[in-house]
Amino acid sequence: MTRRTTTLLAVLAAGALAVTGCGSAEKTDSASSSSGDSKTLRIPYLADMSVPDPDVFYDIEGNGVILSQYEGLLKYKAGTLDIEPNLATEYEVSDDGKTYTFTLRDDVTFHSGPKMTCDSVKAAFQRRVDVDQAPAWMLADVKSMTCENATTFVIELKNKVTPFLHYMASSWGPKVVGPEAIETNAGDDFGQTFLETKGDGTGPYKLSSFKRGSAYTLTKNAEYWGTPANFEEVILSITPDMGTQRLKLEKGDLDVILHGFPASELESLPDSVTVEKQDSLLRLILYVNSNKAPFNDPAVRAGLQSTIDTNQLVEQGYSDTAEKSTGIYPPGLLPGEPKLPYTPDPAKAKAAADKAKTKKLTLAYSADESGVQRRVGELLQAQLKTAGYDVTIKEVQLPTVYGWAENLEEAPDLAIMTNTPDGAHPDLWASIMFSSTGGLNFLGAKNEKIDANLGKAISLPPEEADPLYKEIAQEVIDDNKFFLLGDVKNVFVMQDSLTGLSNTPAYPWLVDFAALKRGE
Amino acid sequence: MGALVLRRFGALLAVLFGLACIVFVLQTVIPSDPARAMVGANASQEAVEAKKAELGYDDPLPQQFTQYLQRLAQGDLQSSLRTRNEVTADLREFAPATFELAFSAFVLAVAMGLGLGLLLAGGGRAGRIIRIFLIGGASVPAFLTGLLLILVFYSWLGILPASGRVGDNFIVPDGPTNLLVVDSIIGGTPDLTLDALKHLILPALTLALLPALAIARTLSTSLTQVEREDYVRTARSKGLTERTVLLKHALRNASGPALTMSGLQVGLMLGGVVVVERIFAWPGIGLYIDQSIAYSDFPAITGATLLLGTAYVLVNFFVDLTQAWADPRIRTV
Repeated sequence: MTRRTTTLLAVLAAGALAVTGCGSAEKTDSASSSSGDSKTLRIPYLADMSVPDPDVFYDIEGNGVILSQYEGLLKYKAGTLDIEPNLATEYEVSDDGKTYTFTLRDDVTFHSGPKMTCDSVKAAFQRRVDVDQAPAWMLADVKSMTCENATTFVIELKNKVTPFLHYMASSWGPKVVGPEAIETNAGDDFGQTFLETKGDGTGPYKLSSFKRGSAYTLTKNAEYWGTPANFEEVILSITPDMGTQRLKLEKGDLDVILHGFPASELESLPDSVTVEKQDSLLRLILYVNSNKAPFNDPAVRAGLQSTIDTNQLVEQGYSDTAEKSTGIYPPGLLPGEPKLPYTPDPAKAKAAADKAKTKKLTLAYSADESGVQRRVGELLQAQLKTAGYDVTIKEVQLPTVYGWAENLEEAPDLAIMTNTPDGAHPDLWASIMFSSTGGLNFLGAKNEKIDANLGKAISLPPEEADPLYKEIAQEVIDDNKFFLLGDVKNVFVMQDSLTGLSNTPAYPWLVDFAALKRGE
Repeated sequence: MGALVLRRFGALLAVLFGLACIVFVLQTVIPSDPARAMVGANASQEAVEAKKAELGYDDPLPQQFTQYLQRLAQGDLQSSLRTRNEVTADLREFAPATFELAFSAFVLAVAMGLGLGLLLAGGGRAGRIIRIFLIGGASVPAFLTGLLLILVFYSWLGILPASGRVGDNFIVPDGPTNLLVVDSIIGGTPDLTLDALKHLILPALTLALLPALAIARTLSTSLTQVEREDYVRTARSKGLTERTVLLKHALRNASGPALTMSGLQVGLMLGGVVVVERIFAWPGIGLYIDQSIAYSDFPAITGATLLLGTAYVLVNFFVDLTQAWADPRIRTV
């Protein structure tokens, strides 16, 4: 044996001794010991969520973390747009529509231990008002909140707000945050610092770890008042690349991809993976910039009705993961609304385009991982070219889109976006989309009649409000500043072994983690 | 040597000032409204204006620029619009992962570059094969290399993980260095060390590949020139083996350009972390920048850019020192 070999063996022996004498960092409960087990559900996120604080969070990526931990007084019934009780067992609306009385469950405890009472619900609602971040608008019309007793919570509004119950059921609606944030760790920011990485709710899962950029871990709440979760643990790992997500899913290291999977690749998935397409309120929209040439001319805008072939856009862009829109509102929100009249007619399209002051157009689309909006943009570019336009397309990020309103002359002529309302009420869609001050009215469309009707409808009962919402729909159609192209589905790509999929159309990109299980 | 240090320190300040100016200009010319993105689509115009005022976005540009520079001078990078944390706190959280990845990739790149460069300089059939490999490899972008490596080593062979820094069946130690391999060694958890190393291999290799090829080409060219020098001929004529001539006589004198190239490649590497960290879900500064760009989170973008810029200048500074050590003539230049 040479000297070198002897030294090598000595080093190896020392290494082996060191290894056997050292500890292990592996989790001892083995909750996440192997892929494909019945204890851990593994889900990827394409990006970090903003913060796991229900009174700050106002995005879509991350809603699973929020809704698994926190609950509202009401929620949407799975698979429907119907509202059902959640932390409230029942509710009553006064005749004048300004007072809402909620009867609360008496068997709910927070993750931190204390029992939920009316006072804790009131404190949680007050926190949303005090924090005053994006979702606070839902309580902007609240005049007072009182507790008649431990289980009776009364909210009085300043004005009648017909969709108020939908605010309560919304994915972003008020949630009941526990005393850990509101009392123990309130600090000087109403517990916002505490809730950046921790939680205290009443839901079926608790937030046990929040490692930004890496993963968030939810652990089963053994004291949950409702049906207990099936998985002991949910690990949401940040996996920004869809190619990596797919390989991990195929290998069995991920269980469900919640969104962003390219429609064109669905057919090529192996048999061990299944695809679930569920209804949602997500809508593909074409915005038209009516503040500059050529689309400041109503006749040129009207020509788009004959230019756009929505069948082609939806079929070729989305395969069967979207359907052609038939109305201005998401399906099910306003039965009997006017039908969209878009019919491709090359002659009419060309005639309208010939009137355009300029044929050079810019078409923007918002960035998305699946690439579907780019695909729709390219198809639309070709359709517009046939009519005689010269179209340049470009990808934009959301903050850029918000910046258009500052300078509409420099904003693109057309824009493709996918949006969803906060809840399943016509006002929640029309106000944010079509009103002159609507937050999703990115290209500054203005229509006084729409604004006036929205102002009236919000305080009217459905039988009086619905005709106004229909008038708004007709006005949107006639004005041609928004083109509703497709009703986009929630597409969940998941292991075949998973069952119990439960989805609510008003909660985008989300399955109920607690209901999922492996096997029958 | 003292003058060299001073010059480089001046260069560092100039680079950082330049980067800060570029980020500020980008922030002002890109038409975006992060204030609206923060307060949400349903917020009133008053709420948007209030948020703009809070963020200082409604001040005149010169005033914004002055305040921006003042804050930077005080080390105040503001809060991230996305994570709501202090940017300095975010950077502390994300930087160790990038440092661990970049350092591993750099070591790998230098080792691979050295090995390939020597083989290439050796000529023969091996040299020709390596030359083809270098030309082919240099034309493959990092994202493609990354996906290919994942496909082969994770999907097909199943021997290395595809993403992340550690398996989710491990408890990640909370410090002391936040360099996972180091912390797991300090903590005496070899299973974690092994898992962390396994996670490190593919991203480090992806990041190292292009710089390694560049270093190899530079080294081989330099070696070829040095081998024509008189002292090398003298060494050969003394009957020394080719290996001794190459390693003991030619390599040190040929290493200057390769060292310079190594320093330059760090810049390429620091730029490459954005792509590599995204593909491998590596929770570092690259991923942080990638996500911040999508949010027009300029405080975060500024902080991360300045951090990477500082790292780049510092690495080049150390390369200069190493060159000065290897070639004393440089110290007087």
